[in-house]
Amino acid sequence: MKELNVDVAVIGGGPAGLAAAIEAKEQGVDHVVILERDVELGGILQQCIHDGFGLHRFGKRLSGCGYAHHFIESVAEKAIDVKLKTIVLEITDEKIIYAMNEVDGMMKITCGAIVLAMGCRERTRSQVFIWGTRPSGVLTAGTVQRYINMEGYLPGEKAVILGSGDIGLIMARRMTLEGIEVEGVYEVMKTPGGLTRNISQCLKDFQIPMHLATTVVRIHGNKKMEGVTVAQVDEKRQPIQGTERFIPCDLLVLAVGLIPENELSRQLEVEMDPRTKGPIVDEHFMTSIPGVFAAGNVVTVFDLVDYVSLTGEIAGRGAAKFLQGKLNLDLPAKDVLPGDAVNFVVPQRIRTVNAEDSIPIYFRVKEEMRKVEVTATVDGEVCMRKKHPIALPPEMMVETIQLEKIHEDARELRVSVKVG
Amino acid sequence: MKKKIIQAIQENESLSAYKIEVSVSSDRIVTLIGEVDDWQQVVDCGHLSAKVKGVRNVVNDLTAKGIVIPKRDRSEEIQQAIANGKETACDIVVIGAGVIGCAIARELAKYQVKTIVVEKNSDVAEEATKANNGNIHPGVLAKPGTLKAELNLKGNEMYTQLSKELNFELQRPGSLNVIYKKSEWRKMKAIQVMKKTGLGHLVPPMRQVMKVPGLKWLTGEEVKQMEPHLKGDPIGGFWMTTMGLVEPYEVCIAMAENAVENGTEFRLNAEVLDVLVENGRTAGVVTNQGVIRSEIVINAAGVYTDTIAEMANDRFFTIHPRRGAIAIIDKSRKGFLKTPAGIRGGKEAKKNNTKGGGASVTPEGNLLWGPTAVEIPWKEDKSVEASDLDYITKLGMSVTNEIQRSEIITFFAGIRAADYMEDFIIERSRKVGGLIHVAGIQSPGLASAPAIAEMVAGLVNEERGGLLENPNFNPIREPKPQFRHLSHEAQDNLIQKNAKYGNIICRCELITEGEILDAIHSTIPATTIDAVKRRTRSGMGRCQGGFCGPRVLEILARELEKEPTEVTLKGNESYILKADSRQPIVAGRRKP
Repeated sequence: MKELNVDVAVIGGGPAGLAAAIEAKEQGVDHVVILERDVELGGILQQCIHDGFGLHRFGKRLSGCGYAHHFIESVAEKAIDVKLKTIVLEITDEKIIYAMNEVDGMMKITCGAIVLAMGCRERTRSQVFIWGTRPSGVLTAGTVQRYINMEGYLPGEKAVILGSGDIGLIMARRMTLEGIEVEGVYEVMKTPGGLTRNISQCLKDFQIPMHLATTVVRIHGNKKMEGVTVAQVDEKRQPIQGTERFIPCDLLVLAVGLIPENELSRQLEVEMDPRTKGPIVDEHFMTSIPGVFAAGNVVTVFDLVDYVSLTGEIAGRGAAKFLQGKLNLDLPAKDVLPGDAVNFVVPQRIRTVNAEDSIPIYFRVKEEMRKVEVTATVDGEVCMRKKHPIALPPEMMVETIQLEKIHEDARELRVSVKVG
Repeated sequence: MKKKIIQAIQENESLSAYKIEVSVSSDRIVTLIGEVDDWQQVVDCGHLSAKVKGVRNVVNDLTAKGIVIPKRDRSEEIQQAIANGKETACDIVVIGAGVIGCAIARELAKYQVKTIVVEKNSDVAEEATKANNGNIHPGVLAKPGTLKAELNLKGNEMYTQLSKELNFELQRPGSLNVIYKKSEWRKMKAIQVMKKTGLGHLVPPMRQVMKVPGLKWLTGEEVKQMEPHLKGDPIGGFWMTTMGLVEPYEVCIAMAENAVENGTEFRLNAEVLDVLVENGRTAGVVTNQGVIRSEIVINAAGVYTDTIAEMANDRFFTIHPRRGAIAIIDKSRKGFLKTPAGIRGGKEAKKNNTKGGGASVTPEGNLLWGPTAVEIPWKEDKSVEASDLDYITKLGMSVTNEIQRSEIITFFAGIRAADYMEDFIIERSRKVGGLIHVAGIQSPGLASAPAIAEMVAGLVNEERGGLLENPNFNPIREPKPQFRHLSHEAQDNLIQKNAKYGNIICRCELITEGEILDAIHSTIPATTIDAVKRRTRSGMGRCQGGFCGPRVLEILARELEKEPTEVTLKGNESYILKADSRQPIVAGRRKP
């Protein structure tokens, strides 16, 4: 078995992993390796041929591939080691990675630090409990996107989309442009799941109807899909009798949410946050295991790739500092907690002694609110206030807290949102 | 007899109002004709009639209001198939490549006969065989004196040898009946006394239990020690140590492959349209792929065994489809339960006419909840309803309340081929020479399969007046590499030998391209996404084929030299891709 020693191993070559690897290298780490399962770097960005990426970072609207390209070029320039078609099977708590590919066979990689950047996966039909049969023609939005954008095939003639998250909206437009008839987008919640700009550009511009508080209740057809039944739902999201409608179609596209891909994290037994479904991280996005960092959608599902890249950079910087002995892990960490109306916060812990001048806190609100004030409190005392016209659950919020506002003896930092 | 049947139906409150025509043939076959209001009443009438002493079986032609079961007129198809003129000859035709048909095929391969298995689906194990809990039941529950009781016990025992020969996974963790109620515990203790002293031989309902080996009675503490995650405080347990676990489709595929290796022919996508009968003897079958002439026809067509019997003009039973839904929980809970467990005297089980059900485990380590047992009119209706999952969840929750509904990664249903006697029908036709029925095979059909096959070989022997052993029969099916089960060292060696084992296609289940190629190029080639899944597990994990689906499709197309648009999920028209998007649009449509 091949044995390797590396300083930083980054698991996953999507936007989080790329940013982490580049930043670690820039901070002076000698040997950085990216372990990527696919045949190329870039992760899911490679199948995102639509634009709208990189508004924050590059100030222009790039395609997903275009956005990834910036980072991939940088990886090449910086001579970062890349292993493609490589799968990580196991990580031990001594930071040994077992990974494999066709060329190297099984590799035992001893690492100084590890960045987990495995991204996320899509929820499936069973996980949202759609009843009926199991014919062909039920695909997740990401799979449909891959078939259309990467492989060049159309998976149906007439589609129904369940879920109004961004991927669902993007695919409504994409399928329409490719000649698939999109009957409509169905959303079980009363409010849409995707970004406002996507609703406007992907549905309204193409006259695709969106049906809120309506869901797919049944799939028909034994081998080949014959259609779906949709129904309106009540306050408890239960189908309302008498509102059922049969829609003949040969494709049901599921855009019903993403789940952080944390099987390796769980196997490693890093502490997890049930709210984010990802590892609990500190200001450097380090997990509960010293030297093991996490970045991007593995921590929680972000909606913008810019945020994913930013967390990658934070983790990459953290990994470098960890190797250089610049992180003081002896002092206890302060808790960062979700306050009123806030669903979760990332990071969940802070060691002010290690932090830089300011700390970005990412969070989501529980429900749609207008004219809101975000407050951060340190042990109950307000240290930051900011007003926003609107707060929506699908849109991740971020506030930057100045380090000087958090005194050394403080125990906790809490982020709350209220109307007013 | 007819009077007693009418009386039985009349005495039932919900049925007394209907006009039901009852007739009884000279060979004690009951036929029911009429219309009732709902499907359950149809089934109830069948069962009531079957319970009358002396009845051999029931042909139930009752209909329920508003439920129309379309009858297929096959005459044109038959004429076409005969006209096409493709004719083959063999000794024995087996109809159906489920676990029963494949077990029979493999058993017959031990003799000097030419067997052809015909299957309407694109793969073996496509129906009930792929959709059950894989339990090799210990044989406690079958009614003493039935075929089920006899063959279950025998089959269970045969599995040990079979799994060694065919190299499929068999585990024997036993099965646990958990007892919470004192009254139940007293009953169980009484059974223990009867078993130990031999007194049970004198009590008719105890006679099956007396024959089952390896029964153990555990204290509450022992139960807790064995299964620490069980709910509450059990006061005792009944451990049936011979219960085995298999992946049922794996057993079926293994038997089919071994049969092929020993000269059996399988014809997939071959639907039987007619059974040929000449001078009171069967002369073979007409399929959509042509005529196959044979001396013997074995009817192992599962839910369609009654249809096949009717084709031979030998209709003496009716299959009433019973749907069983199952839910699978992700492997991340591997080891959470060690044994399949059910609650003794649970309320849920009795209401739903099941054998209990509960929480089971698959050899791979998934928890499995279910199954349900719901009578349905349609033989192809494999849908899962909200009520099914509610029931399954309750079953699971009755055993442990630590597993959440959100941990379910998939659910599915299979149709059990139950007849009204609720026993196996394994016999030579009384009307048509050379025709052997293997019908009504429901639970414990999987456990009984090897014993059923042996019994059928005996009937073939009678029919032919002797069977010569095949001196070249090789009982061994060589194992194929299963990458996920190897040590890292062994994995490394495998990749060095063949780099294809270094390319992981399914990440959730850790399945390599090498294993997928093995499946596609096996003796029963996997030609659909689902067929690859059953042989390798690719797509069985948490993401349910989201990531690996497109890649498996690509490999299938490449290896089978097909266009990606020709690859199906599960045969027939179940294409995944409709069109090549690089083809120009013609008349508003892209060329497929």
